[in-house]
Amino acid sequence: MTNSATDREEAVLLLHAYHDGELDPANALALERRLAADPALAAESRRIGSLRRALREKIPREAAPAALRMRIERTLGLGRAQSRPSLRALAASVVLAAALSSSATWLALQPTPGDAAAEAVVAGHLRALAAPQPIDVSSSDRHTVKPWFNGRVPQAPRVVDLTYEGFPLVGGRIDVIGRAPVPTLVYRHRQHLISLTAVPAAGAAAAPEQRTVQGYNLLGWTADGVTYWAISDLGAGDLHKFADLFRAAPPDG
Amino acid sequence: MSRDDKQRFASVVLPHLADAYALAKWITGDRADAEDVVQDACLRAFRAIGGYAGGNARAWVLTIVRNTAYTWLGKNRTATLVPVEDLEAVERATARAGTDLGAASTPSPEAELIARADAAQLEAAIAALPPQFRETLVLRDVQGLDYREIALVTDVPVGTVMSRLARARRRLIKTIGSETP
Repeated sequence: MTNSATDREEAVLLLHAYHDGELDPANALALERRLAADPALAAESRRIGSLRRALREKIPREAAPAALRMRIERTLGLGRAQSRPSLRALAASVVLAAALSSSATWLALQPTPGDAAAEAVVAGHLRALAAPQPIDVSSSDRHTVKPWFNGRVPQAPRVVDLTYEGFPLVGGRIDVIGRAPVPTLVYRHRQHLISLTAVPAAGAAAAPEQRTVQGYNLLGWTADGVTYWAISDLGAGDLHKFADLFRAAPPDG
Repeated sequence: MSRDDKQRFASVVLPHLADAYALAKWITGDRADAEDVVQDACLRAFRAIGGYAGGNARAWVLTIVRNTAYTWLGKNRTATLVPVEDLEAVERATARAGTDLGAASTPSPEAELIARADAAQLEAAIAALPPQFRETLVLRDVQGLDYREIALVTDVPVGTVMSRLARARRRLIKTIGSETP
């Protein structure tokens, strides 16, 4: 073996990275060539592969003990519904919030189709927060985000630039309401994300109406045949400001 | 505790509870200790949730769990921690001495032995690894994090992740590959 010890050490590191899928194509190719010419390295490669397979197949993946989960939820005062946001839990909480809050009696008395949409909007926002990426298309440029929606939803949403007002665009994603894909824009204000979902609406224009679901502020309004839902953990004041800015912005091109 | 914080905690931290528990268990080597560590880590995460700026939630949670686990170990079992610098110097010296690849070109039965190893053997071999090698191996081969995420969680450069992982695997191969089934 003519290779120096350091060279060999580096080859071994690259070999592990190769097994872990961390090598770019050029380095992977170089390593494959080296493996073909170096039986000792090839033998080590087989051992690494064998070990990784054994670990993957035989080390059990266990869930956290249920008692631990309950202890944490109890300590932090979390309810069951909050720990596992599901549509049913969200729906229940909307009904509960409506029943408990005097300011929201209209919701209890008059369930409208908008409620189902509101629940779906909340669920979409929660899912997005729990995902590694809250967005499918990541761009602060509305001329990138708007075309991305073409072909994915029946109608691309109105996208406005509110960067200078303190609400930069982060990107967009597709949410599902009922069975229809709808566009959701994601804006950011300080460290808070705002999901803005646009749902085609038959109803007349309506001014923003606010409610609180699962600790999130939800603002719904209708303009130009579209109902907008803005949801965020921002304070109600900031969220209203966002809605006002969005509504006041000139139509995009 | 505001409702916002609770909600954020529920959506950011709770989905990764299984990973948190698994990592704590591998670091402490004990189920009951792991539960204490995870509960402690959750309290820390809850207090810090306001500062969580989005991004990789799992790496964020695991970082807190790892730090909590080591603090916990330091408080409860001072004797078991080996300074990592010493350890890595030893490993490097061994590697330079050329013994790193074991029996080189002979088509060894090690690969087969490893393939036949059972869960108990594997777990014992992982448990016997020095802590810094063990956590790196577990994060990669058991929990499936990529190099960058591991670097983030263990707070070392990617190059260090690579060398720790290589050394951890080499030790396992040596241990399991030499055991009689």
